[in-house]
Amino acid sequence: MFDRDIWQEIFHTLKNNKLRTFLTGFSVGWAIFILVMLLASVNGMQNGFTGQFNDDATNSIFIRPGTTSKAYAGFEAGRRIQFKNGDVEYIRKSFPEDVEYLSARYYSRTSARYKSETGSYPIQAVHPEFQMIEKTIVINGRYFNDADHTNKSKVAVIGRKVAEDLFKKEDPVGKFVQFNESLFRIVGVFIDEGDDNAERRIYAPIGTFQRVYGNTNNISAIALTYNTSYDLTKALEFSGRLEDIMKRRHKVSPEDQAGINVWNYAEAFSDISSFSTVLSTISIGVGFLILIAGIVGIGNIMVFTIKERTKEIGVRKALGAKPQQIINLVLLESTFITALSGFIGLIFAWVILSLIGPTIETPAFSNPSVSLSTVVTATIILIVAGVLAGLIPAIKAANVKPIVALSDK
Amino acid sequence: MIEIKDLHKSYKMGSNSLHVLKGINFTAEEGELVAIMGSSGSGKSTLLNILGMLDGANSGEYNLDGVPIKDLTETKAAQYRNKFLGFIFQSFNLINYKSALENVALPLYYQKVGRKERQVKAMSYLERVGLKEWAEHLPSELSGGQKQRVAIARAMAAEPKVLLADEPTGALDSTTSYEVMDLIQKINDEGNTILVVTHEEDIAHMCKRIVHLKDGVIVEDKKIDQVRAEQYV
Repeated sequence: MFDRDIWQEIFHTLKNNKLRTFLTGFSVGWAIFILVMLLASVNGMQNGFTGQFNDDATNSIFIRPGTTSKAYAGFEAGRRIQFKNGDVEYIRKSFPEDVEYLSARYYSRTSARYKSETGSYPIQAVHPEFQMIEKTIVINGRYFNDADHTNKSKVAVIGRKVAEDLFKKEDPVGKFVQFNESLFRIVGVFIDEGDDNAERRIYAPIGTFQRVYGNTNNISAIALTYNTSYDLTKALEFSGRLEDIMKRRHKVSPEDQAGINVWNYAEAFSDISSFSTVLSTISIGVGFLILIAGIVGIGNIMVFTIKERTKEIGVRKALGAKPQQIINLVLLESTFITALSGFIGLIFAWVILSLIGPTIETPAFSNPSVSLSTVVTATIILIVAGVLAGLIPAIKAANVKPIVALSDK
Repeated sequence: MIEIKDLHKSYKMGSNSLHVLKGINFTAEEGELVAIMGSSGSGKSTLLNILGMLDGANSGEYNLDGVPIKDLTETKAAQYRNKFLGFIFQSFNLINYKSALENVALPLYYQKVGRKERQVKAMSYLERVGLKEWAEHLPSELSGGQKQRVAIARAMAAEPKVLLADEPTGALDSTTSYEVMDLIQKINDEGNTILVVTHEEDIAHMCKRIVHLKDGVIVEDKKIDQVRAEQYV
C-alpha cells in the first residue's frame, strides 16, 4: 500500500486526466459537503432548542394554577385556582422520595432606588432552593439561605443588569436598596447565560416578601426538581401523580388542563430529542443518497480507466502481475480519489462552519457545528465508499485476459 | 526445456468451434533459438500464447523446465510467467508513462525485488542492449528499434528460462530488424532459450531451427545453419 510505484502510477493517471479527476472528485466532495452541512444544521437546531431550556434544571417540573374550564365537585367552571404556602408543604410531605428541590414562586414588580438611580424590575419571591432549580449562577456575594427565609430578613439577589443600572461601577453587595417602601440589603449578584432579560430580575426570600407586602400566604406558582436518578418513564409517572394530587386538592376535574398545569421538562425534552433524531436520520439518509451518486460516478470513471488501460494491464499480467496486485492498484486509486475529494469537501464544510457557525445565534438555530465523531464517521464512510466504487472495475481489471489485451495490435 | 505432447486447442465461435491446434508435438532444448513460422491462421500465435501461459490448452501435455503446466490458477500462472518466461511483443508494449529504466524494472517489481536492487539490475540490462544513456527517457522519446531493445531488456530482466518473441521485428524496418535479431542472437549465444514467432523468411533463417506450422499441425521441423545478423548491421 505504501509502495512508491503504485502511488507513482496513481498520480500519473490523475495528472493525465485532470478534468476527469476533478469532475468525479467534485461529486464526492460535494456529497460529503452536503452531508456535513446537513448534520451541522440539525446540530444547530438542536443547540437552538436546548439553548432555550438550559438555564433551568432539566429535571424540573413547574406547576401553575389557572382558571378551571370544567364544572367539577359542585364548583362552576371559570373558578380561579390560588396556590398557598400549604400547597408547597403538602407536596413536600406527599413526595419525600421523589422531590429533590422544591420552591414556591411569587411574582411581583417593584420599583428600586439606590442613591439617585431608580428603576422598575420584576421581582420573584422564592425559597432558597430555587437557586438549584433555576441553576442561578451567583458571581458576586451569595444567594439567600434558609436562615434569611426563616428570619424573614430583608435581603435580595439582583441580576447583573439590575446591578449595572443601579450601582454603575459600585460593588452592590452589602448595600441597601429601596424596594417600594422597604430597604433591602443586596447579598449577591447573579448572571444568566440564557438571556439578558433574566438578568433584569430580582430574587428575594418568599417568607420576607409575603410578610412585607400584604401579609399573605398566596403564591403564584410552584417549581420543583425530581430525583435525578429518574428516567423519562419514572419522571412522567411522577408528574402524573403530582398532577392528580394537586387537582384533587384544589377540586379540579382530572380532565381539566386549564385549571392546573403541570409542566414537565423531561416531556418537552423527549419530544425535542425525538424530533431532532428524526431530523438527523433524514439528513443522514439524504446525504447518503447524494453520496451514492458520487460513488457511482467514481465507479463509472474507474470502468473507463480500466478499459483505457486494458493493454497495460495485459502487459503487466504477462510480466507476472498477480490478479490481487491489479485489484489493489485499482482499489487504491479509487479509494484515493474518493478519500481526497471527500476530505476537501469535509474541510471546506468545516471551514465554513467554523467561520459563520459561531455568529449564528437565533432562538431556533445556534452555533451549527460538527463533532469529531461525525468527522471520523465521514472518513470511514469515504474509505468504504472508495473501495466499493473501485470493486467492480477492479474485478473487471483482474479478469482482463492478457491474450485478449495483447492481441489488440 | 520445453516439452509439448499432443496439444489441442479449439475456440468456440458461437455455435461452431474452431480447431486451431490439432495435436502439436514439440521439444526444445536449453540454449536453442527456434523460429516458429506459418501463415496467418496457422496457429502459431495460439501456440505461443499457450507456451506463454497466456492461454490454456484443451488437451495435451506441456512441461516447462520439468514443471507440468496444467490447470493453473491466475495467481499461479502469474508466478510462473514471472519466473520462467520473458515476453517480447511486436508492438513493444512498453508502459508509456514509465521511463525505459522503470519499464525494465517492472518484472523485478513483480518478483518483489527491492527498489534499489531493481534499479541497479535494470540499468545493467539496459547497458547490455546499449541504451544506458536513454534510461530516463519515456518510450515516446525512443525510436522503434530502441523501444524493442528496451522490451528485450525488460524480458531478460527477470532472468527467465525462456524468451518468447512474437513477431519481434514485425513493426521495424529491415536495418532495425537486423539490429534486433543481432541482439537476440547474442543473448542466445550466452545460452538463453529463445522462441521467435515470425512470418519473415530472412528473420527465421537467423535462428538455429525452423518449425513450420500449417493448419494447426507441424509440417516441417528442421535445424538450419544460422545466418548471423551482424553482417547486415
